[in-house]
Amino acid sequence: MDTRPLAAPQAPAASLRNTMRFEGSAGEYFKIWIVNIALTIVTLGIFSAWAKVRSKRYFYGNTYIGTNAFDYHAAPLRILLGRAIAFGFLLAYSLTAAISPKLIGLWYLLFLAALPWLIKSSLRFAARNTSYRNVRFDFHGSYWGACKAFILWQMLAVVTLLSLLPFAHRARDYYHINNNRYGQTAFQAEIPVGKLYKYYGLALLAILGALAVIVGLTGGTMNIFKPADGLVIAARIVAVIFGAVAFWGAPAYLGALTFNLALNNTRLGENVTFESHLSPVRMTWIVFSNILLTMISLGLLYPWARVRRARYMAECMTVVSPADAGDFQSMPMPAGNTIGEEVASFFDIDFGL
Amino acid sequence: MPLPGFYFPPGSARQTEAELYLTADGKYLEVRDGGGTLLASAPRRQVTVTSRLGNLRRKVAYPDGALFETADNDGIDALLTGHNGALARLERSWRLAALSLLAIAACTALFILYGVPRSAEWLARETPPSASRVIADQTLKAMEGKFLLPTGLPLARQQRIRDRFARVAGWEASGHGYDLLLRNAPHVGPNAFALPDGRIVVTDQLVLMAKSDTELDGVLAHEMAHVNHSHGLRSVYQASLIPAAIAFITGDASQFAQMTVILPAILVQSAYSRKFEQQADDDAAILLRRQGEDPAALAGFLERMELKTCGKTGCGPSWLGSHPATSARAARLRRAPAQ
Repeated sequence: MDTRPLAAPQAPAASLRNTMRFEGSAGEYFKIWIVNIALTIVTLGIFSAWAKVRSKRYFYGNTYIGTNAFDYHAAPLRILLGRAIAFGFLLAYSLTAAISPKLIGLWYLLFLAALPWLIKSSLRFAARNTSYRNVRFDFHGSYWGACKAFILWQMLAVVTLLSLLPFAHRARDYYHINNNRYGQTAFQAEIPVGKLYKYYGLALLAILGALAVIVGLTGGTMNIFKPADGLVIAARIVAVIFGAVAFWGAPAYLGALTFNLALNNTRLGENVTFESHLSPVRMTWIVFSNILLTMISLGLLYPWARVRRARYMAECMTVVSPADAGDFQSMPMPAGNTIGEEVASFFDIDFGL
Repeated sequence: MPLPGFYFPPGSARQTEAELYLTADGKYLEVRDGGGTLLASAPRRQVTVTSRLGNLRRKVAYPDGALFETADNDGIDALLTGHNGALARLERSWRLAALSLLAIAACTALFILYGVPRSAEWLARETPPSASRVIADQTLKAMEGKFLLPTGLPLARQQRIRDRFARVAGWEASGHGYDLLLRNAPHVGPNAFALPDGRIVVTDQLVLMAKSDTELDGVLAHEMAHVNHSHGLRSVYQASLIPAAIAFITGDASQFAQMTVILPAILVQSAYSRKFEQQADDDAAILLRRQGEDPAALAGFLERMELKTCGKTGCGPSWLGSHPATSARAARLRRAPAQ
């Protein structure tokens, strides 16, 4: 790691390779996490916004590239406000469902219309509240852009019997990456769609193969209300495990492959490039075992699971930049719109890459 | 005492080694480089310092956009005495973590044992009959045509059950109105369930399995007890209270959070349901005994039902099920005292 003052701009532009590191520890985060949950319970939920910010700060602030870590700046009060609004919507929705179920359709329409706005605001909020070395990120995506990437492309993929799914995936990644900026410098991704077709094809084959095995094991019937002997039950259990691995594992596997692809084809400005080599098998294993161990430990291993995942992901990512990385300049900007992000996260929409 | 760290000019990612000073009068925070050149200076009140969290570097933000960062957490806390680091102190102690864990466990236990059932009970009591009606209609609509078909029982048989139903309803002094719906349910099999508004669905398959009217009386009394205690509404509220509380406390409705709480939520929900079943059994037994009927008939009927639906091995472990183990239910019904 280069801890010396950075070279002058006119120095020869030798490339610096910085592998990301996560320097947090499970024990330290456990204490932070548990004390914050206790405070949240004591304050009847109010403190949860502060707890969330501290948790995010911990993970951002321990993720290093070279000598410096990221920073997270969101204001808890605004998050609390967004949360209250989201909760109000949820309440209104439930009341509608209880009183006049016929009007539920209107809510779905409203939600569909709001979705691009939620996506846009949530990405902008996340970007604007993230900084690295005194320069904040920014996001310039539009409502219409989100509409195209997240609704129209997905619809087109469904209409064409999923044959355009890789294009829809690319549209999402492009919206995400190409609208992001670090200070005044734009991110630029050019993803070869052929590779995406290959990955999606593999995932499809895996799911079809799993289906074949499951049908073979159970004879296509899975009526759990019918009595069965030991062998049939054993076959069913194997089928269920196989099914779970295939249907949850295939997306996790695909996720790691497409994440690598997107990052490996992304540039920041003219000179900064990225490398990601997540192992799909290992990533899938980490996701699976994390869920399992968190469940078995009644939640106590949740901090360890998060730290473990963050550490592995950081280890797999490298930033390649010219030696004079200090040239980045920030733009004056207003704070982001929290309400979008909090409403989005409350309704469980995850737009992460 | 100067603090070592890095300085960033306003809006720039360029960092240089620098030191942070508090002026002698305690009013200004200054950043100087190794040669002593002043890089930034502002009144202490206009400078924001990030709060301490784990081992994170502290950021000192100047109003003009310049930034100083240092890894010396203790140093900056000593320099800026009165800077509130109470939360970070709480977060550093293992003893407090253990205490928090105990408190959270106790709160969770109280919440599951009392909080959820009591609030669901209160909500059910406050729910207007019209709302119960809507929920019942919805439930019925979702099943009608798919799982529930028009009854295929002969008219005479239907009439006889209706007479029994009216008779059992007459034993009740709770003042609830009940209504009997007979349905053919080939996919569900022998079953009966109560809707929140007092309608009770009994399947043809169950009627055909009953060997005596007394057995049917037991089933009807059991379902009426569900209505009397608003068990239907209460389980709806209980089922929504737990996820709502988790989302509220953790502020995290992510996939990961959902996956990890699904199983515990199902287990808790089943435990509530088993309690309701036991209460309905107890009420039915009291009602039957009071009329000089033997609850053992219901016990025998339950045992036959289990044999029919699940075979000799039984219906799986009872701690997972919505009903207590049939053997336990039957034994409890048989030794139920007349009140």
